Amino acid sequence: MRIHTRRAAAVAAAVAAALSMPTAARAAAVVGQPAPVFSAKDTSGATQSLSAYKGKYVVLEWVNFECPFVGKHYGSGHMQKLQKDYTGKGVVWLSVNSSATGKQGYYTPDKIDALVKEKGAAPSAYLIDTAGTIGRAYGARSTPHMFIIDPRGTLIYAGGIDDTPSTDLADIKTAKNYVQAALDEALAGKPVSTPTSAAYGCSVKY
Amino acid sequence: MSERETIRAGEPFWVGLHLRMAPGWHTYWKNPGDSGLPTRLRWTLPADFQAGPIQWPYPRAFSQGPVTSYGYEDEVLLPVKITPPASLAAGEVTLAARADWLECQEACIPGRAELSLVLPVRAAAAPPSPAWAPAFADARRRLPAEPAGWAFGAQEMPQKVWLVFRPPRSRVPLKDARFFPDQPLVIDHAAPQPLSRGKGAWRLELTPAPNARRPLPALSGVLVIGGAGGQNEAVRVEARILDAGGLKMAGGGQRPPAQEGKR
Repeated sequence: MRIHTRRAAAVAAAVAAALSMPTAARAAAVVGQPAPVFSAKDTSGATQSLSAYKGKYVVLEWVNFECPFVGKHYGSGHMQKLQKDYTGKGVVWLSVNSSATGKQGYYTPDKIDALVKEKGAAPSAYLIDTAGTIGRAYGARSTPHMFIIDPRGTLIYAGGIDDTPSTDLADIKTAKNYVQAALDEALAGKPVSTPTSAAYGCSVKY
Repeated sequence: MSERETIRAGEPFWVGLHLRMAPGWHTYWKNPGDSGLPTRLRWTLPADFQAGPIQWPYPRAFSQGPVTSYGYEDEVLLPVKITPPASLAAGEVTLAARADWLECQEACIPGRAELSLVLPVRAAAAPPSPAWAPAFADARRRLPAEPAGWAFGAQEMPQKVWLVFRPPRSRVPLKDARFFPDQPLVIDHAAPQPLSRGKGAWRLELTPAPNARRPLPALSGVLVIGGAGGQNEAVRVEARILDAGGLKMAGGGQRPPAQEGKR
């Protein structure tokens, strides 16, 4: 009888574990939960770890300079402005490129630095994720795909840059920028009113 | 293009945007999935003409690693119903539209065209144009049908959501099925959709999107089923999330299949 009970308990525990286990193959960052930790090289060769930024807000921006959706947000200067405004307020802004080696959007670190300069981009760092490790951990599917992590390491936003899927520069003026809104609310100590949205863009070139 | 070469006052007719993609390239469905952009039409019409929404043929899924999108390869005709006013002067009318689309292979290229169609107005009904009638007929075959005789329900499970359905009895044996959601942030587009047969109903196991809306809304979209003979059929789906417990299926005021199973 005791053995039976133990077995039942073991089965129940296994079932509970199976039910609570995130679908490993489809890992993704979930808002309200700890953001997946990562370590990756930036274009200067330095290692960037999420854990080093405890105590700060961190923005992750999936980028591919050859994607027309990314082109819209850089062509208008809006992405660069967000980067400057919020890094000026102590936010860490990490641009991440998960293009596999040789795929569209993949560049050598020197070339990336040149492009970042040419575009007047101002991320805190640009991470090279050719293996797609960070991209898969976050479930990044498109460029741009945006994530915000709070000072305790909790994901507080996942989704699109704004609410107007298009490649048209003219739409930026009328779009609601979710990242801007979320950062403003978070920095003011308020809860994020739109913590998730549908990302839109080109596919990440894993 | 227009299905008919001439039009008549008060009689709706169909026009279509025909997109032909280079091999390996695709354009997008109304819900593009993880990436992409739906094709869009902005009309400039003569006074009192009305254009309906694009009628979307069912799409196919394109996967690049963990990224899954919905769209069309090869070619597609997107039909739109135009309703002219009840009275029209003799002569011609010009229908103009700006079309915007995104075409992707690995790279993506936005496309745009200013299109116009000049159609003579006649007193008698024109026959369908022999040049385009087959393309319209083909597009219509791929439009999701209203689910007459079908029953749908959805049930939320830990980490999963089941789309439970029962086809009409007359249907040919079903071999596979795929659900295309018409909204983002509901299901994970890239997750497999295993199909199984339960008591009197089929079950398609879907995975909620990582940051899915909560509570999960009704599953709305298109179910494409493959018959054993290789033919495809698409039906419109609107499946409410049912309370836990029991596979009582609700759907379009139809008879619950559980009852049918007991007979």
